[in-house]
Amino acid sequence: MNWNWSVIFDNLPQLLEGSLLTLELVFASVLVGGICSIPLAIMRTSDNWLVRGMPLAYTFFFRGTPLLVQLFLFYYGLAQFEAVRESILWPYLREAYWCALIVFTLNTCAYTTEILRGAIQAVPQGEIEAGKAIGMSRFNLYRRIIMPLAYRIGLPAYSNEIILMLKGSALASTITLLDLTGMARTVIARTYMPIEIFFAAGCIYLLLTFIFVQCYRLFEQRLLRHQRISRPA
Amino acid sequence: MNREPPALQVVGMKKQFGTHEVLKGIDLTAYTGDVISIIGTSGSGKSTFLRCVNLLETPDEGEVSVHGELIRMKTRRNGLREAADPRQLQRIRARLSMVFQSFNLWSHKTILENIIEAPVHVLKRNRTEAIEEAEALLHKVGMYERRDYYPGHISGGQQQRAAIARALAMDPEVMLFDEPTSALDPELIGEVLQVMRNLAEEGRTMLVVTHEMGFARNVSSHLMFLHEGNIEEFGPAREVFDNPRSERMRQFIGG
Repeated sequence: MNWNWSVIFDNLPQLLEGSLLTLELVFASVLVGGICSIPLAIMRTSDNWLVRGMPLAYTFFFRGTPLLVQLFLFYYGLAQFEAVRESILWPYLREAYWCALIVFTLNTCAYTTEILRGAIQAVPQGEIEAGKAIGMSRFNLYRRIIMPLAYRIGLPAYSNEIILMLKGSALASTITLLDLTGMARTVIARTYMPIEIFFAAGCIYLLLTFIFVQCYRLFEQRLLRHQRISRPA
Repeated sequence: MNREPPALQVVGMKKQFGTHEVLKGIDLTAYTGDVISIIGTSGSGKSTFLRCVNLLETPDEGEVSVHGELIRMKTRRNGLREAADPRQLQRIRARLSMVFQSFNLWSHKTILENIIEAPVHVLKRNRTEAIEEAEALLHKVGMYERRDYYPGHISGGQQQRAAIARALAMDPEVMLFDEPTSALDPELIGEVLQVMRNLAEEGRTMLVVTHEMGFARNVSSHLMFLHEGNIEEFGPAREVFDNPRSERMRQFIGG
């Protein structure tokens, strides 16, 4: 086999540039999606079927269809509507960057909503009752007791979602964006060395995931310190 | 001497779960300083009664008032009852602290944070003052050294003493104890009962659902014996213990 290391090193700057776009897309969508998931997850636990049903319809669609399909529907589909083309949002909606960002955000928000919904429902009833019995308002109960406990319960599952999003973001390349995967494909089109370049891209994804997992572990240790089991020395 | 309104008054409380009538019309009047033990076999409705007092369960009928202030109720269109004014309910709950069988400390907060939580965020007290008072309370229940521990890292007896301190931090007018020693290992029960005995001697108004007959007999001022959702016997604790009028009460304390 004819393995060419130099093509990797020659094109590393471009791949790293692509990684920045990948990180940007993932960071922004996870952040915004995470914030939006909070009210939606609370709605999902409502006693009222309508309040519960609306976010369910949304999460059902976004969890039930492939990210690629969502991306294509949004990127190619929206432009078919004249109302969209004439709206003031068109300058954004016609950009692949904004399409990817919006679809990623909606997608990760749907998954996060369901993770958080499960976590809210797993908060021990007794701790909620203790809050009620001491005179907390509903708002305070959520802010001080239920949500802080739910975040901690959902934390391990949430890291999975972020990692899946990091890898899912490779699909941005299918709508012309030069993220890490997109950049790799561009380099391959020029060099005809797919194995080396995809190998390098894969390594960068691995490295990003590794760094993320390490940081997340510290974060988890900090937030879950109340659960740490003290072992005999 | 009892000219001021009773600390706690319950009139005609009824509660049904499905077709099962758990409470069939309970009345109770507790004056300031009363320590009322509520005893009875399991299923007699004693815990449900206590949980209906602060509306953790909504009674189907009946009224609760604290120092003369009635908790206003309303019936929703779907037939369920609820507090008419959530803010009034919150205000009254803050005056009725509850101690639970399973402690229910907030697991993500340290003992000290558990105790200052409601004074700071419900009563809107100054944080520094709340900490000072919390530390005094921790001394009182013998938990000062454990103030920075998380609930999961201390014993059940210690958790329950911390939970009592959390309830005390609200300076409640009435304290509700829901089987506070039932989840504890036998050797840990004593420390919790001692704290409760001290509170009774200080003149705290307490409603205690308990299986501890020694406490019921020697510490409480009154005794309420529930059987199948009715008050089978009520009176001064010693009197009821020494001369039970009902056959069931006799069996209960005899067996």
